[in-house]
Amino acid sequence: MSEDPITNSHSADFPQDEPRIGVYICHCGSNIAGVIPPEEVVDFAGKLPGVVRSIDTMYACADSGQRLIKEDITKYGLNRVVVSACSVRMHEPTFRGCVAEAGLNPFLMEMANIREQCTWAHGHDREGALEKAKDLTAAAVAKAAFLTPLDMIKVPVTKRALVIGGGVAGINAALDLAEQNIPVTLVEKEPTIGGVMAQLNKTFPTMDCSI
Amino acid sequence: MVDAARQPLIEVKTFTEVEKVEGYVGNFVVTLREKAKYVRADRCNGCGACTKACPVEIPNYFELNLAPRKAAYIPMSQAVPLIYNIDMDACIHCYKCVEACGALEAIDFSMEDKLVEQEIGAIVVATGFGHFDPTPMTEYGYGRFPNVITAMEMERLNNSAGPTHGALIRPSDGKSPKRIGIINCVGSRDKRYNQSCSNFCCMYAIKNALLLKQMNPDTEISIYYIDIRTPSKGYEEFYDRAREAGIRFIQGRPSEITEDPDTHQLFIASEDITLGKVVEHEYDMVMLNQAAVPQPDQNHMSSVLNVAQSPGGWFMEYHPKLRPMDSPTDGIFFAGACQGPKDIPASVAQGSAAASRASRILHSDSWQIEPTVAVVWPDRCVSAKGQACGICERACPYGAIDYTKGLAAEVITAKCHGCGACVGECPHDSITQLHFTDAQVLAQIRTLLAVEPEKKILAFRCQWCSYGGADLAGTSHFEYSANERGLRVMCSARMDADLIYEAYRLGAGAVLYSGCHPQDCHYITGQIAGAKRAARLEKMFERMQMSPGRFRVEWISAAEGDKYARVINEMQASLDAIPEDVLKAEIERLRPEMEKKLTKLGDVPGVAQAMVQVDFIVDEMIGRKVVA
Repeated sequence: MSEDPITNSHSADFPQDEPRIGVYICHCGSNIAGVIPPEEVVDFAGKLPGVVRSIDTMYACADSGQRLIKEDITKYGLNRVVVSACSVRMHEPTFRGCVAEAGLNPFLMEMANIREQCTWAHGHDREGALEKAKDLTAAAVAKAAFLTPLDMIKVPVTKRALVIGGGVAGINAALDLAEQNIPVTLVEKEPTIGGVMAQLNKTFPTMDCSI
Repeated sequence: MVDAARQPLIEVKTFTEVEKVEGYVGNFVVTLREKAKYVRADRCNGCGACTKACPVEIPNYFELNLAPRKAAYIPMSQAVPLIYNIDMDACIHCYKCVEACGALEAIDFSMEDKLVEQEIGAIVVATGFGHFDPTPMTEYGYGRFPNVITAMEMERLNNSAGPTHGALIRPSDGKSPKRIGIINCVGSRDKRYNQSCSNFCCMYAIKNALLLKQMNPDTEISIYYIDIRTPSKGYEEFYDRAREAGIRFIQGRPSEITEDPDTHQLFIASEDITLGKVVEHEYDMVMLNQAAVPQPDQNHMSSVLNVAQSPGGWFMEYHPKLRPMDSPTDGIFFAGACQGPKDIPASVAQGSAAASRASRILHSDSWQIEPTVAVVWPDRCVSAKGQACGICERACPYGAIDYTKGLAAEVITAKCHGCGACVGECPHDSITQLHFTDAQVLAQIRTLLAVEPEKKILAFRCQWCSYGGADLAGTSHFEYSANERGLRVMCSARMDADLIYEAYRLGAGAVLYSGCHPQDCHYITGQIAGAKRAARLEKMFERMQMSPGRFRVEWISAAEGDKYARVINEMQASLDAIPEDVLKAEIERLRPEMEKKLTKLGDVPGVAQAMVQVDFIVDEMIGRKVVA
């Protein structure tokens, strides 16, 4: 019916496999471990149904942390991974890449944010922070159990850039792109390019001409 | 400038504005408004005969209105491209320019604005900054005292290409000033106007002082400053040079400028911190070193591009340290001062950096996007059963759903941005979002509210703004109640009413429904859909006589960490104000009401199966609590 060149073969069906979840609690040096004892979260998570491996690690994002996760995926036959560490805005791509290297679909990894949204915000209430870290980890485990594998969707790319603003930054960006053989549309709302710099006399610290 | 115009792969479109940006990374469709110049670019040879013939004179913006220009004009002699414009607001239609242009026939009064569509793979936003207008600071008399000028006016007055050909004169009498005062931080580092530092103005004041000293070594120059900031290479040395050249630096923020009305001499009253007393000095001329502020149309551009703004109005980057050039939208990058005040070297560097970020995409044949898109269960869709519906099609901000009565709705994956608005709106639960299915989100809600739910504040947050705001609260170590339990979906539009009912059915103490501010929404109108639903829920809960503060709706940007912490703490205070027995009774009273609204939830594919398994997790969690 549609002219959609991109197909989506994914279904929202409930996963049929028995979850074998690995949980990794990051210390982040003292960023997390300075506020809550990670081993308590490890013990808690280890007892949750579906979890077959629960362990803490000094830095989950470091080589050693990622190696641990990758080795465990093979060793314990993990089909889901939960990383309780920092913000998804920080390291979701890292851990998706990590599990993918071990052959697991990257969308079978779920993160719990126990740093930005827990220990960093609740330094005044360590007991409360610990309870919260456990709950956030449990929620990630619960979601992970029902994750389904997904593949990234490939979209075509139009080889043309738009640069909005013909000041010094825009001109430079446009030139850099064009010199890499990329066609550029450089849009400027005023009748001339040059921006503020064209209005200046000399510029610091070398006192050279601005145009 | 000239390099850009000469580069064959760069199409320079001046006097052009971006009207609309649609599409997504690799596949943007951009509508440009090429404003009518009334001069044909293919014929104008830049000779300037039209300007000479034009009898109209109006102030030239490029010269800060210190010099006139004609209605047939170029803003400056080195304009690129060298094509004249007719300013139709000023033109008196005498057609002398047409006569002067003669056989070239470049002037064409029939020209109109033209809308042009272009297909674009990646966008670099380099819209720059504006200048703070010091008129509201009446204590400095700008606009009242002729010899008080702004930094940009000074720039044109000492420029050999400027209106005075580089001869600095006092506007009041045309005499050359001998004593010049420069005041820094005008409108910056000032809580009344802009709290932030404008980054380059200390250096800029020093540059002007040295330049004026070079032009006339007898000039006495004083710079009033709060701090002198010289962090980049060669800057401190430049500051040393100024001190050695005899520029006087006075640490103190001037309280007032007064003027002798006869001579137009100026007097700056200020504290001199080094001397520890209040001083007053006389000047022939004073330069106000004005703050860099966002462009006047920055809010408008923010909604055209669907990118958020930081406090202060600058465009907000994806991550302040790790991804300073990236906007939160894939394929849109920032360069230069539009993201925050920057000096020339930093703007140039960021221009190159943004080009490099964009070229990763532009050099690829294809780009990968997240598969967290919407999918329809065709057998649940009422349209397939012949019912008129189409709610999902109307809910989609991207036109990514095809609805034809009699057929199941169909998601056009390439157009779907994965906001989940259709999922939130579908009254029949016939559509879901991959990676954020009802089963997955409900599983999180149940576990987060497993233990002592009445004490918990369940916070629904959108990926782009309020989740980011919660992150920033933590990064800034703004402390808030540890009873908060956060939950992430992509957009507030995905926050299905059922999810909120379920939270109260489980006995949640309070629920926060949060997302971005309307103009910041990552999904065009997603927030608007979310806000409408939230308003409906607010009214319903009020009718149910739910205690105040138990349901709260807040729009929090990724830059508002302080707000996130404050909102949670206020919610905690509201919760604390309700006596425990009253709260428990209220939860019990409302539970059947919520259950009534959730009778069909178990039919949603996957939900019933998931809840059986989640109950095992919850049992374990409660069991742990009992043992402890």
